[in-house]
Amino acid sequence: TVTDAVDGSPMPGVNVIVQGTSRGTATDAEGNYSLDIGQEEATLTFTLVGYKSQSVAVSTQTVVDVALEGDVTTLDDIVVIGYGVVKKSDLTGSVSSVRGADLTKVPAVSPMQALQGRVPGVQVVSTTGAPGAAPVVRIRGQGTFNDSSPIYVVDGVIVQDVDFLNSGDIESMEVLKDASSTAIYGARGANGVVMITTKRGKPGQEYPTISLSAEYSVQQLQNKIDLLNGRDFATYVNQFAPGSYNNVDVVPNTDWQELVFGTAPIQNYQFSAAGASAKIQYYIGLGYFKQEGIVEKSAYERITIKLNNTFHLSKNVRFGNNFTITPYKQTNTGGNAVFATYRALPVVTPRNPDGNFNAVPNVGNPLADIEYTNSSDRGIRGVGNLFGEVNFLDNAFTFRTSVGVDAKYFKNRAFTPVFFVSPQQQRSQNLLIKKFEDQATVLWENTLNFQKNFGDHHIDALAGFTMQNTTSEFLRLQSQNILRDDEDFWYFNQGSPITIIDSEKDENGADPKYNYSMISYLFRANYTYKGKYLFTASFRRDGSSKFTDINRYADFPSMAVGWNIIEEPFLQDVTFLDNLKLRASWGKTGNEKIEYLKIYSLVDNGVNAVFGQGDRLFSGATYGITGNPDLIWETTTQTDVGIEAGFFNNRLKVEMDYYRRITSDILIPLEVPGYLGNGSGAQITFNAGEILNRGFEFNVGWESKLDNGLGYRLGAVGTTIHNEVLKIQGGGSVSGQLLGPNSITRSIVGESIGSFYGYQVDGLFQNQGELNAYPHMDNVGVGDVRFVNINNDNKIDDSDRTSLGSPIPTMLYGISLGLDFKGFDFGLDFQGESGAEIMNYKETVRPDLYNFEAHVMDYWRGEGTSNSEPRPSEGGVNFLPSSRFVQSANFFRLRNLTLGYTVPKSITDRLAVKAARVYIRGTNVFTAKSFTGYSPEIANENPLDSKVDRGTYPIASIYSCGLNLTF
Amino acid sequence: ANFPTSASDAEQAVNAIYNTLRVPEYSFGLYPILDIMSDDAHKGSNLTDQRAIVGPYDNFTHVGTEASIKNWYSTLYQGVKRANVVIENVPNIVMDETLRARYLAEAHLLRGLFYLDLVRAWGDVPKITTVVAPLGLPRSAASEIYTLIEEDLTFARDNLWERHDERWSANDLGRVTIGTANALLARYYLWLGNFPQAEVAALAVINSHQYDLAASFGEAHSEAGEQGVESVFEIGSIRQEGLPIGGNQYGNVQGVRGIPNRGWGFNRPSFDLINSFEPGDPRLDSTVLDVGEWQDGIKIVGDTDTPEAYTNSLVYPGFPNGIGEKECYNQKVWTPGTNVPAQFGYNRRLVRYADVLLMAAEALNKNGKPDDALDYLNEVRARARGENPTILLDITETNEDALNEIILHERRVELALEGLRFWDLIRTNKAATVLAPYGYRADKHNLLAIPQTEADLNGWLNNPNW
Repeated sequence: TVTDAVDGSPMPGVNVIVQGTSRGTATDAEGNYSLDIGQEEATLTFTLVGYKSQSVAVSTQTVVDVALEGDVTTLDDIVVIGYGVVKKSDLTGSVSSVRGADLTKVPAVSPMQALQGRVPGVQVVSTTGAPGAAPVVRIRGQGTFNDSSPIYVVDGVIVQDVDFLNSGDIESMEVLKDASSTAIYGARGANGVVMITTKRGKPGQEYPTISLSAEYSVQQLQNKIDLLNGRDFATYVNQFAPGSYNNVDVVPNTDWQELVFGTAPIQNYQFSAAGASAKIQYYIGLGYFKQEGIVEKSAYERITIKLNNTFHLSKNVRFGNNFTITPYKQTNTGGNAVFATYRALPVVTPRNPDGNFNAVPNVGNPLADIEYTNSSDRGIRGVGNLFGEVNFLDNAFTFRTSVGVDAKYFKNRAFTPVFFVSPQQQRSQNLLIKKFEDQATVLWENTLNFQKNFGDHHIDALAGFTMQNTTSEFLRLQSQNILRDDEDFWYFNQGSPITIIDSEKDENGADPKYNYSMISYLFRANYTYKGKYLFTASFRRDGSSKFTDINRYADFPSMAVGWNIIEEPFLQDVTFLDNLKLRASWGKTGNEKIEYLKIYSLVDNGVNAVFGQGDRLFSGATYGITGNPDLIWETTTQTDVGIEAGFFNNRLKVEMDYYRRITSDILIPLEVPGYLGNGSGAQITFNAGEILNRGFEFNVGWESKLDNGLGYRLGAVGTTIHNEVLKIQGGGSVSGQLLGPNSITRSIVGESIGSFYGYQVDGLFQNQGELNAYPHMDNVGVGDVRFVNINNDNKIDDSDRTSLGSPIPTMLYGISLGLDFKGFDFGLDFQGESGAEIMNYKETVRPDLYNFEAHVMDYWRGEGTSNSEPRPSEGGVNFLPSSRFVQSANFFRLRNLTLGYTVPKSITDRLAVKAARVYIRGTNVFTAKSFTGYSPEIANENPLDSKVDRGTYPIASIYSCGLNLTF
Repeated sequence: ANFPTSASDAEQAVNAIYNTLRVPEYSFGLYPILDIMSDDAHKGSNLTDQRAIVGPYDNFTHVGTEASIKNWYSTLYQGVKRANVVIENVPNIVMDETLRARYLAEAHLLRGLFYLDLVRAWGDVPKITTVVAPLGLPRSAASEIYTLIEEDLTFARDNLWERHDERWSANDLGRVTIGTANALLARYYLWLGNFPQAEVAALAVINSHQYDLAASFGEAHSEAGEQGVESVFEIGSIRQEGLPIGGNQYGNVQGVRGIPNRGWGFNRPSFDLINSFEPGDPRLDSTVLDVGEWQDGIKIVGDTDTPEAYTNSLVYPGFPNGIGEKECYNQKVWTPGTNVPAQFGYNRRLVRYADVLLMAAEALNKNGKPDDALDYLNEVRARARGENPTILLDITETNEDALNEIILHERRVELALEGLRFWDLIRTNKAATVLAPYGYRADKHNLLAIPQTEADLNGWLNNPNW
C-alpha cells in the first residue's frame, strides 16, 4: 500500500516500476498495487508528480508499503514566460498563472473575463454588457493616457486581443507583470503581457481523450434603476411647470426598463479530442458560443475551430502548428436605446391604439430605436503559427523558428428603413452603410536556447531575432434610397448611388494602428546556483517603423535576482515552512501602441477653392497639423519586490509583491501657439507626461482535505493601486491638464488619470439671505444647488470647476471558496473594488425634459427640508456636472456560484464514459453597491472617459446549467 | 518636404490658401464681430442666442478668453502657413517660370492680406515666414509686420497678371490680380495715413481700366454680379453646406433666421446705420432686408420668436435706456433660395471697385486734389442714384475737411456691413467719439485682446488694458 507520508491517506495513481525494466503498474483507489517482480532481487521505484520519488530494494518481502513525501520543488509547476518556460522555483519575475477549470467558469466571449478578481494586479472590467463587448484589461494600474492594454501571446503569436479564443481550448494563462518578465517583449511590454498556452495532446495518451461539454444559460437584468413612475413624474413636473398634468392620477405609467430589458439565453457547446502517439501530438477543438442580449436585437455568435499538432520527426527534431479560426457575427442594438430607456418619459405609452410607436418627446421612443436599427458585424479571424524545433549538442541547444499570422477580415452593415415616429425620430430615405476592413500581421520569430547544468551551476540562455509586419485597409460607403427594406436588397447598385460619408474619418484608408513593421533582437540569461541563488538579465532592442530614423530603435533591459531561502541549511529544520523565496526585479519596457502618424506633417487634400463664375470646385492640398518628428517611445520603468512562501506542506501559500511603475515620455496632444498655423485649438503630440502606479499585491491560498474526505480551499487576492500623474508638460510652455470628452474629466499633476471634473456642490441655498451672500450663476434661486466658489473671485463660472474624484480603484480584491465532497463540488467567487468614483453622467445635462431618478422626489420644499435634493427643475444649474452626480463605485459581487456533481465511476464505467459532471452556476448573482445605475463596472479604453456612465448597456446576471463528459 | 514637388502640387497648394478664405472662422472668428463692434450693426439673431458670446462685442465687454478672438487669430495664421508652404517650396519645383512667378505672387498677396488683418486687430504679432515655426517666439513689432505686408503686396503687384490678361483661363476668375494687389496696397496705405502712396495705388487700379462699377448697387452684391466687373477680389463659393464642398458659412451666419430658414441672423443692421442713409437713397433697401419684405419672390417672415421692434437687452454706457432694434437682416449676403445650403453660396466681396473709387477720392482729397476726388466720389453716387435724378445729388464740396467727412459718410453707406466700418473709424480717429457710447475705450479697444490661451502659452503680455 502506498500512503501519504503526512496524513497517511491512501494514494491512488502512484507509478510503481521495477527499476531497469519496463515492468510496472499503478496503485488503485485504495493505494494498493500488486506486481510480479520475478525472482531476482529488484528495486521498486514509486513516482507521482508532486511527490519525492522513492526507491525500495525488494529482497524477500511480498508486501512493500511506502509512504511518499511531498516534493516542494516539483510541486511547483512549470511557468510559461516569454520565449520559454521556467520552473516556478527558478522564476525571478512576478508571474501569475491561471489554469484549467478556472478559465471556463464565466460564460463570456473573452477568456480574459475569467481573470476578473482572480489574479492579483489584474483588473478586467466590462465596457458594456452588450454581447461580444471586449473587456478593458489593466495590469498594475493605468500606465498611460494612450492605449494601456496588455499584449497577448497565444502559443507564441503576439496579438492585441483574445476575443477569438475559446476558453475551453486554453491550457493555461500566465500574466507577466514585472519588468523582468515583460522586458523580453521590449517595446510592447509596458502594460503587461498575457501568455496563453492552448491545449495539446499529452504524451502517453494512446487513445484520445474526447471531451464534450454543453452549457445553457439565461441572463437577466441585475437591477432596475429607480426612476420616476408616471404619477411621480407628473407630480414633479407640475412643481416647476404648474398645470402640465391636470390629474396626476390618470397619467399613463410606462416602465420602459420593463419593456426594453428581457431575459436572453447563452449557449456554449464544445467538443475536443486530444491525444498523442510516439510521433504525433494532436488537439482538435470545436466550439460554438451564442449570446443573445437582454436588449432585443443584440447578439454575438462565434464558432471556434482549433487545431494544434506537433510532429516528432526524430528525437531531436519536431515541427508543428497551432491554429485558431474563428468566424463570428455580432448584432448591435441601437446605440441610443439604453440611454433613451433611461430618459424616456413614463407618461407616454409605447404604442398608440393602432399599434404604431408613440412619439417620446426629446429622446425618441427606445422601442422604435431598437426596431429600426439594423446593424451587424461579421468577420473571421485566423491566428496561428507553424514552428520547427531542433535540439542539438546533447540537447543543450534548442533552435526554434516560427512563422505566425494574425489575419482578420470583417465587415459592418447598417440599414435604417424609412420610418416615422415623430419629427425628431424619423427617416425619409432609407440608408445603407457598409464598412469593410482587413488586417494582417505576419510575425517571424527565431530563437536559440542554451540550457545546461555545470555542477551546481545552471545556465539557461536565449537569443532571438524577430520581424513583424502589419497591414490593413478599410472602405466605408453609404447609399440612400435602396429599393426595398428587405435584407435581400441591402446591396449597393444602380439607382442607389454610393456617396462618401462626410465625416472626419477617411472613407477609404489604412488604420494607422495596423500599419507598421518591427524588427527586434532579444537576449536573456538565467543563472541558478544550487537552486538557491537566481539571477536573470534580459535585453531587447526593438526597431519600429512608427518612429523616424533617429528615434527608431530603443533598448529595453531588465535584471532580477531571487533567493530560495528555503534551500538554506538554517531552514531545513523548520518543518512548517515548505517554501520561502525572495525576489526583486528592475527593468524598462516600452509602449509603442501610439498614434505614430503624429510624427508626420500630413498633407490634407480636399482643401478646395472655388473659382470662375460656374461654381466650380478646384482641388487644393496643403499641410495639415504639423507633426512632431522628435517623438520617442513611451517608457515604463518598473521595480518589483516579491516574497513567496508555503506553509504546512504547502497547504497555505502566500505570495506578495510590491510594484512601482513610472511611465515617462507619455505621448500627449498639447495645444500649441496659434501662430504655428495649425488652426484654432490645434494640438501637437509631445512626449510630455509621466505617470506613477504603485501598490501591493497579495495572493493567499489554503487548500486541504479533512479526514472525512471533505476537500476545501480558500483563496484571496488583492491589489492596491496608487495612480498619480507626475507630469504634464510640453510645447512652448506648460499646459497642466488634459481634459476628457466634454470636459467631464480632467487629468492634472498630483491626481489620478481621468479624475472627474465639475462643480463642487455645497448644499442648497436655503433662503434669500444665503443666496444674496454667496456668489451664484444667473437664474439660481432659493432651493437650488450652491456651487463652491473655488477661485474666490466673487462669481461662479467654468473656472470654479474642480476635481471630484478618481475613476481608478485603490483596491481590487477577490475571494474564492471551494468545497468538494463525495462527488459534489461547490465554489463561490467574490470580487470587489473600492476607492473609485463613478460619474452618473446620464443624469446630467438636460436641455429638454427627460425622466428623473426617483430620488428627486425628496426635493427641497422650503428652508431646512433638504440640503441635497434641489427644488424641482427641468434641467439647468442643478443638473450641471457636479459632485452631486459623482457616486461611489465601490462594489462587492458574488461573481460566481457553482454547484457540481461528478457521477460516480461505478455508473460512468457502465456507460463507457470516463467522467461525467453536471453543474448549475450563477454568475453576477449578487452585487452590493451604492451606485444608483446598473453597474459601477464601466470602463472605457480611453482613460479620460473611464467610469463615466452615459447610459451603458447593463451587465446581466447569468444562471447556467451544464454537462461535461469525457470519453 | 515631399510636397509640393510638381507643378500640379504647386497649384493645389496655392488653391489651399484660397480655401482659408472660406474657413468659417476666417470671417472675424465666425461672427462678424468687426461690424458688430461698429455703429452699423448689433449682435442680431434672437434676443438670447449667443448673448454671452457675441453680445459683448456690441458693448465692448468682450474678454480675451472668448473663442471668436482665438478662432480668428488662429485661422489667419493658418492662412499664413498655407501661403508659406508655397513661398518656401514652390521655388524648388521644376516648372514653368511664368506660372511659378504667378503662384508665388498669389501666395505673397494672400499672406499680406492675412497679416493686414492680424496687425490691425492685434498690433504686435509674431512674424512667421516659414512653414514650420519654432515654439516660444516673442511678438514681433507691428512695424516689422507692416514692412512684410508692404513687401508681400508689392511683390504681388509686380508679378501678378491684370484681370484681363489673356494668360488667365475662364476658370481662374477669382484669383488675385495686379488690381487686387494695388487695391490692398491702397487699403494698407490709407490705414497708415500714407495718402500719397494710397493715391498711387488706388489710381493704378482705376487707370488699369480692368474694373468698373456694376450697373446697379444691388447687382454688385447679387448672385448675378458674382465675379463681375466690380469685383476686385471676392471669395468664390458654392451653394453647399460644407467647407470641403465649396460652401462659405459667412452668409449663413448672417442669413435670415426662421422663415425662410437661411441662417443664424447675426449682424443685425442698426437704426444708426439705417438713419444714416440720405433720404431716398435706394442703397438702404438693398442693404437692409426687412421682415415682411419680398425678395426674389420669397417673403421674409423671419424669426417668429423675436418681436419686430424691441429694445435689446445689452447694457451700453451711452444708452441708459438701451438700444432699439428691429428685426432685419444684412441683405448684402442674400442669395436667392429658401434653404440653408443656398445661403452658403454667397460670394463674400473682399474688395469692390466702389471701395477703390472711394479710397482714391479720400486720398486725392487729402493730397489737395479735391476736384479729382469729387469725380470718383460722384461716380459712386451716380451709380447709386440710378435713373432718379432727385436723389444723391453730385457733391461739389471742396473744403478738405468737409469733403473728407462726406467721403467717409459715403463709405459708410456704400460699404455698410462689409467689415470695413470699424477700421475706418479707427484709422480716422473717430472711434473714440462715435463708439464711446457703445463702451469703446480708446486706450483699450483700438486693438483686440491677444487670445488669452495664446498669451498664456507663449508667456506674452497682453495688449494695453486687456
